[in-house]
Amino acid sequence: MSTTNADLGDPTELSEDQQRAVEAQLFRLADDELVQAERYTFWQVRAPTLESDLAVSNNAQDELGHARLWYDAIQQLGYTEESLIYESDPDDFQHSTLVELPFEEGDWADAVVRGYLYDVAEEIRLAALEESTYAPIRDRTDRIQGEEEYHLEHARSWLERMSLDDDASERVQAAIDKLYPYALTIFEPVGDVESDIEALGIRTRSLDEMRADWAERVDSFLTEQGFAVPTDTEPATPVGRDNDHTDHWHSLHEEMTSTYRNLGRDTATRLMDEDDE
Amino acid sequence: MSSDYDRPRADPDATACSYTDYDTKERAVGDVPATGDDAEGLEREVWSQLYTVEDPEMPVSIVDLGLIYGLELEDGTATIDMTLTYSGCPARELILDDVEAAAESVDGVDDAEVQLVWSPDWSVDLVTEQGKESLREFGMSIE
Repeated sequence: MSTTNADLGDPTELSEDQQRAVEAQLFRLADDELVQAERYTFWQVRAPTLESDLAVSNNAQDELGHARLWYDAIQQLGYTEESLIYESDPDDFQHSTLVELPFEEGDWADAVVRGYLYDVAEEIRLAALEESTYAPIRDRTDRIQGEEEYHLEHARSWLERMSLDDDASERVQAAIDKLYPYALTIFEPVGDVESDIEALGIRTRSLDEMRADWAERVDSFLTEQGFAVPTDTEPATPVGRDNDHTDHWHSLHEEMTSTYRNLGRDTATRLMDEDDE
Repeated sequence: MSSDYDRPRADPDATACSYTDYDTKERAVGDVPATGDDAEGLEREVWSQLYTVEDPEMPVSIVDLGLIYGLELEDGTATIDMTLTYSGCPARELILDDVEAAAESVDGVDDAEVQLVWSPDWSVDLVTEQGKESLREFGMSIE
């Protein structure tokens, strides 16, 4: 391994500070993927073609799978699925506010642009985790990268086609203007723990470096398609990473956990209990 | 909220179910996949049982799909390293249960535990020749 930092070892070997930093990296990964998936499901029956219904459903399932991989890694540190998702206060989540915004009916351009901005960021972030000093993070990146490639291809191909139509172009441009500041929140820090994440080699690139890389790639591709990119924008507020969210997230979390609550659950039931075999 | 980045901690005494009782070794060592070619005795019997477990969506053994990355037997406990073809696999619990049950069905194995590993990443290249043949018969196009 080419990293100069020492391998952090097993989850049980982490010092308190190391664990805090590992958790801070894992929470944003898990929460981003979960909430992105929850929002994608809106389009499963509303996308403009049967093929895109399928594509969006697949993307949502992929993101849920990735969320599960990251939440699994968090559970190795002593958490449970119910405490992480179903019994968590909505303000405990640290996803970027980009992924929690609701869609307006009919605004397919929003879904395409959002997917594109998110997936470019995702690709850059995963590359910065490939050589993580924390094995449970490092070992999950391959699997996820393989499944993410298709998401980007899907988004790019829609953007290319939409750029050829005047009405569609206008809607794409409106979505870029609206979503770009929210996408910038992906690269906002969660707090002072951010410097530990870099110092320990949990992630090998800084948020600033990743944001610059992202901005360049997004700008270059979208400009090529004839769109204007508001590159001098500040990140939107609230940013999400600092646990401050829009009201839209509170409603979504309410909806997401409603069955769990209505049934009076206190555990996230598994398909089969150990004792049932 | 106790700090900017704390999730409320779970009950530290909570007992994890068999699948959250994760082993921390996430990277399979040695060549993958493992197929038990050289196995003898009890180990061979465990491999024979693993071969009977099929993917829920295709009539192909999970061993021939290349999903088993390792098997260790110690004092009647079988530890199986296994991966899945897809991170969002909805049949995950079902497959893991089937694999544990298959290994435990062997006389001399008291307990079996599957450790889910994600590295190296599974790809269709890991499917055995027998597996490829079965997939072709199933109607899939495999080179």
